[in-house]
Amino acid sequence: MARVHNWQLGREMSYWYPASRPKRQFAAVFDVNKCIACQTCTLACKTTWTSAPGQEYMLWNNVETKPYGFYPLGWDVKALELLGPQRWRGPMYEGRTLFEAAPKGERVLGWRPAQRDYAHPNVGEDDCTGAIEGGAHIQTPHMVWFYYLARICNHCTFPACLAACPRGSIYKRPEDGIVLVDQSRCRGYQECVRACPYKKVFFNPMTGTSAKCIACYPKIETGIQPQCFENCIGKIRLAGWLSHPDHAQEDNPIDYLVHVRRLALPLFPQFGLEPNIYYIPPVHVPRPYLVQMFGPGVDAAVQAYRAAHKDPDLAGLLGLFGSTHRAISRWQRQANMISGIGTHGAEVVRVPLREPIVIRDAFDSTYGVQRTNTP
Amino acid sequence: MTLQRATILFLGSSTLLFAACGPAKPDSPPTEVRVVKVEKAPDDPGAPAWHDVPAYQAHLILQDLVEPRLLQPSTTTLAVQALSDRTHLAFRLAWADDSEDAMPGPARFSDACAVQLPSRLQADVPAPQMGEAGRPVEILYWSAVQQTRADGGLTRIQDLYPNATVDHYPFEALPVQGDETAHTRMAARYAPARASGNQVAQKAKEPVQALRAEGPGTLAPADFGPVCGQGDRTTTGWSVVLVRPMPSYLLDHQAAQVAFAVWDGGNGEVGSRKMRTGWIPLAMEK
Repeated sequence: MARVHNWQLGREMSYWYPASRPKRQFAAVFDVNKCIACQTCTLACKTTWTSAPGQEYMLWNNVETKPYGFYPLGWDVKALELLGPQRWRGPMYEGRTLFEAAPKGERVLGWRPAQRDYAHPNVGEDDCTGAIEGGAHIQTPHMVWFYYLARICNHCTFPACLAACPRGSIYKRPEDGIVLVDQSRCRGYQECVRACPYKKVFFNPMTGTSAKCIACYPKIETGIQPQCFENCIGKIRLAGWLSHPDHAQEDNPIDYLVHVRRLALPLFPQFGLEPNIYYIPPVHVPRPYLVQMFGPGVDAAVQAYRAAHKDPDLAGLLGLFGSTHRAISRWQRQANMISGIGTHGAEVVRVPLREPIVIRDAFDSTYGVQRTNTP
Repeated sequence: MTLQRATILFLGSSTLLFAACGPAKPDSPPTEVRVVKVEKAPDDPGAPAWHDVPAYQAHLILQDLVEPRLLQPSTTTLAVQALSDRTHLAFRLAWADDSEDAMPGPARFSDACAVQLPSRLQADVPAPQMGEAGRPVEILYWSAVQQTRADGGLTRIQDLYPNATVDHYPFEALPVQGDETAHTRMAARYAPARASGNQVAQKAKEPVQALRAEGPGTLAPADFGPVCGQGDRTTTGWSVVLVRPMPSYLLDHQAAQVAFAVWDGGNGEVGSRKMRTGWIPLAMEK
């Protein structure tokens, strides 16, 4: 194993291959607080990429209700249980990663979901953590809670799937860091399925090969966000590129949210893969659960998010989410207008810091009728 | 010289020494895989031609050199027979396996076996673990799942999950109905492995694949000629015939080396998680 530096852990760690960071890294921020689990992202992906025999239960994108929703069943709790204690000392992770905990004869500590684990994509949907007592009122964090976790492949900097493939059939594109299964080389050993703790590589029994989210690279290559981003009803997603923290750029929207403001956090950073889909954590959920899922930066992130409405930069940037189908490389705020600049350097969208509010009179004097609100 | 290479040479030398100790007693088990000449090499494990062919009992060992490894032994012996009609070389492999694993799925793996020969005859044989860079090996690979496909199974998802219901596949849409070209093109869009020519993903006509390798992880389709075979489920396990064109170096009655591998799908064996042999002497019947 090689030694690589994983900035999410604040330390070096072991990895199967030496570090080889791409020229730029595809990355995204998901604002969990805005997701309504409409599954439009899931369908946008499914109809585009996985609609053939053998792909029926292949969901490159899924939205699950936490804490009781999983796809496949128990993907996260199983990995957490296998890994054992996960200790942080401040921003540094002191526990073992999935690479460091690999048992004898293995490259990664992993497990294989069985067929039945894929049988219930909607398990736990909208289940909250308990019953609400009569006469209760809402407190924060909520006394009972759930939230929606939208998931795609994390296009990790240190992908476990890539490390585990004994044939080298998985590669990380040097130009944008997108992780792909070479469909011409894969022989369906499912080592990638076993190794990926997020369980975002799927086996297709009809072709005998495995497949995964491709970050809609044909769209990304033309400066357009992936299907699940473009079709997101809740406007929770923003795709772009992430720099190494040593080279963070304030005018890069992903850098700003991840590195500068530390509002968006990686999913289970303790696994050691340096995942590149970042989450603005849900503000109403008990901290210990969030810390386990998103690492030690949760408190600061929740605090910053709660105060975002007073911060024109942060509020403005959050307003760019879902504002355009174009991928945004840079952003800027001029007074009360926020601009998104696309991959080719031209402005692709401009949004106001605050959408104007128009209040109509209850009575329409032109038609002489009472107006009603129809949602 | 690496330790691995030194071990291989030592094992190879000791095998040759053993083989050179004089003719074996008539009823003693064969110490090499003897290729018996026949009129026509059969591709059927039940063909009468196999009845009188001596079986070499190959001892299988763990693949424990490259990760991921197999740590606990599963299939430990393999009965090997070989026949040739001068144009084809046929092997029949038989081994015990309690469970029949012939369907694919998540965490479901296929029973399988493989026969490996050096690509060319050389005194210093390549590493038995799938050869090495610049010193390739040729491999015949049979899998029970591939046999299922070759037998006409696994054409619809219901062959795997009988109760599965599917609303609609895009290639069944009205605009492409009745247009075979459009239908095929649409279906290929959703099966990139098949569209890219991946041997694994093709609709198999034969349960045997011709492969080559230059070390672990380098397995690739080979063009050493058409291959065929058949695997039959027996009361105790599998009996599989794998047939390939005769390697030219064996036509001169020369001795060579052969190696084998077996995968027990029910034990989670796939890829490098396998039981295998080292090189075993292979001798043409004079």
